[in-house]
Amino acid sequence: MSISKLSSVLATSYENFPKGRFITLVVLRTTHSETIFRTEGSGEPMCSEFVQAGLEGENQKTIIQRLVMTKRKQVAPERRYGREHLRAHELLYTNPKDGSLCSLNTNAPCEMCVDCFLYGFAAGGGGAQKSRIWTEDAFSILPASDVVGDRTINAIYETGTMRDEKGNASTALNTSEYIKPGVHFLDVVTLKDVTADELRYIIGNILFTSRYGAVSSRVGRMENEILGVFGSITELPSSLELVQATYDVLGKPLEHPLNINQLITASKQVIANWKNKRGVSVQLSEEELANLLTDVETNWSPDERDNFLKRLTQSYESFRQVAPEKNKGKGKSKGKNTPVEVEI
Amino acid sequence: MSTIPFQQAKLVELYCLEPVFFASRELSDTYYTEGVIGNYALTYALGRVNSPYRLQGQATGRPTYKEDLQPIAQDFYILPASPVGRVTFRFERFNALSDSYWYAMTNNRVATAREDLPLQRQGKKPSSFRPSNFPQTGRLRMIERRNKFQTLVFGNNQLPNYIRLGKFMSKVRVNVLNEFPVTLLAEGEYQSQHYLNAADLPQQIEALAFDLISIPPAPIIKNLRFRGAAWQVGEIIVPAGLHFCGRESNNE
Ligand SMILES: [Zn+2]
Repeated sequence: MSISKLSSVLATSYENFPKGRFITLVVLRTTHSETIFRTEGSGEPMCSEFVQAGLEGENQKTIIQRLVMTKRKQVAPERRYGREHLRAHELLYTNPKDGSLCSLNTNAPCEMCVDCFLYGFAAGGGGAQKSRIWTEDAFSILPASDVVGDRTINAIYETGTMRDEKGNASTALNTSEYIKPGVHFLDVVTLKDVTADELRYIIGNILFTSRYGAVSSRVGRMENEILGVFGSITELPSSLELVQATYDVLGKPLEHPLNINQLITASKQVIANWKNKRGVSVQLSEEELANLLTDVETNWSPDERDNFLKRLTQSYESFRQVAPEKNKGKGKSKGKNTPVEVEI
Repeated sequence: MSTIPFQQAKLVELYCLEPVFFASRELSDTYYTEGVIGNYALTYALGRVNSPYRLQGQATGRPTYKEDLQPIAQDFYILPASPVGRVTFRFERFNALSDSYWYAMTNNRVATAREDLPLQRQGKKPSSFRPSNFPQTGRLRMIERRNKFQTLVFGNNQLPNYIRLGKFMSKVRVNVLNEFPVTLLAEGEYQSQHYLNAADLPQQIEALAFDLISIPPAPIIKNLRFRGAAWQVGEIIVPAGLHFCGRESNNE
């Protein structure tokens, strides 16, 4: 149970105020099919940005266009994954306002479930919860020009031709861009003040989510791998800096598809230096990391899952209770504006 | 105003590693970030004060800047961050999606109750199709990645290397460029080159001319020409006696 190695940076229970405990996950995300990441509507090019290729020497002066997997594109499917299981184990709560089951983005967060406590919600029913999972835009290692493909879409009618029964030509002829399979994104995910079970839940969501981006039901297969876990009292370098430093280590020439083992070795070489960063107290070794992932898989296994999710749900119980009615007449309460809130 | 509460100040550069979004203004379905970073936001982001993870009841209706900031005001003050060069922006579309298999985009609302669809088609309005009271689709104007801002941090404080800013907790690198003593300049007429928070100005100064950037929670003032005492930090001159919520507290 190497999760105990992280105990100095884990919360023992959910608390309402931040306490300076950071856990950083270094994630390698690899596309396994054609994938689409856009910030504008369909027909727009893939989301990309001009950035410095690397941090040192010539690489620092070279500007390349990299693909971007935005932070919102990562967290949305990952929290959906967790919610599927909360729903299946009947751990989503009903929203008192309209009696509907907790749902994302429909103005009806239940404010009670694991997802609401961990990933947060905006003031729907009069409350708000900040997310304790801080994601970052992730960048491709290689330039966009190397890893984006073009596809011509021609919508064929049921007759199997480009003309309908009346002989009208299909207008659905289009070219669209896609990200090739085998493209690597490096990513830094920061967790703030999470408990051991919350950590297991979040890592599970990252490891088991397999579809990202537009038209997620048909394309967008992606595999996530955790390369490193750190505990610290501050934030560690950004995804962008991680990609740039890894690019420096990899050397040239680089070609798509990259050798994944070389890439992992290079990334691990970069993050090995992070243990000297100010504020870092823990870096899991290879073996500890493997143990942590086994621990996560065990808790998410069919036999343990129900138990695990219920234990996690239970951990917020004291925050679900309504504070006892305040003495209205005489003032034991601290003043006019005491909020209805239960603290441990 | 004869004593200076701060011996020194740090000139700090903020480097946007990600696009930064604050809801400074709203026009139709577009939400605009102004090219400035407020000093209250920076104080929270730097970890000088904590705000709770969960807000409930009354706490959601009213921010607690005064309660949070005044206790630390004796040994910490930070100016709003002003851009280095021209700020560049980017637009992004946002689109809320539900977690149901079936959904429809209705009056600014993602409807998910499929069983209400026949009713809706008959021209009736089931409640699950009524407009939402918070935006579910629209456009965001964000401060583009790679923009740089500068600010002054008064007091002897260690600063983190990275902070998170804005609605999407965007990562920003904190580079301390220089450290200067704070010197007091006698009453006179000065021009301030740095952005200032209108609520933090001391009562004693006389503002002669300025430009105003109107953003919540307090307007930002730039190009201030004023008469009064001043602090000099390196090349920068600001009114003496800047203090969190200084204008308000003096009114009481
Ligand atoms: Zn919920």
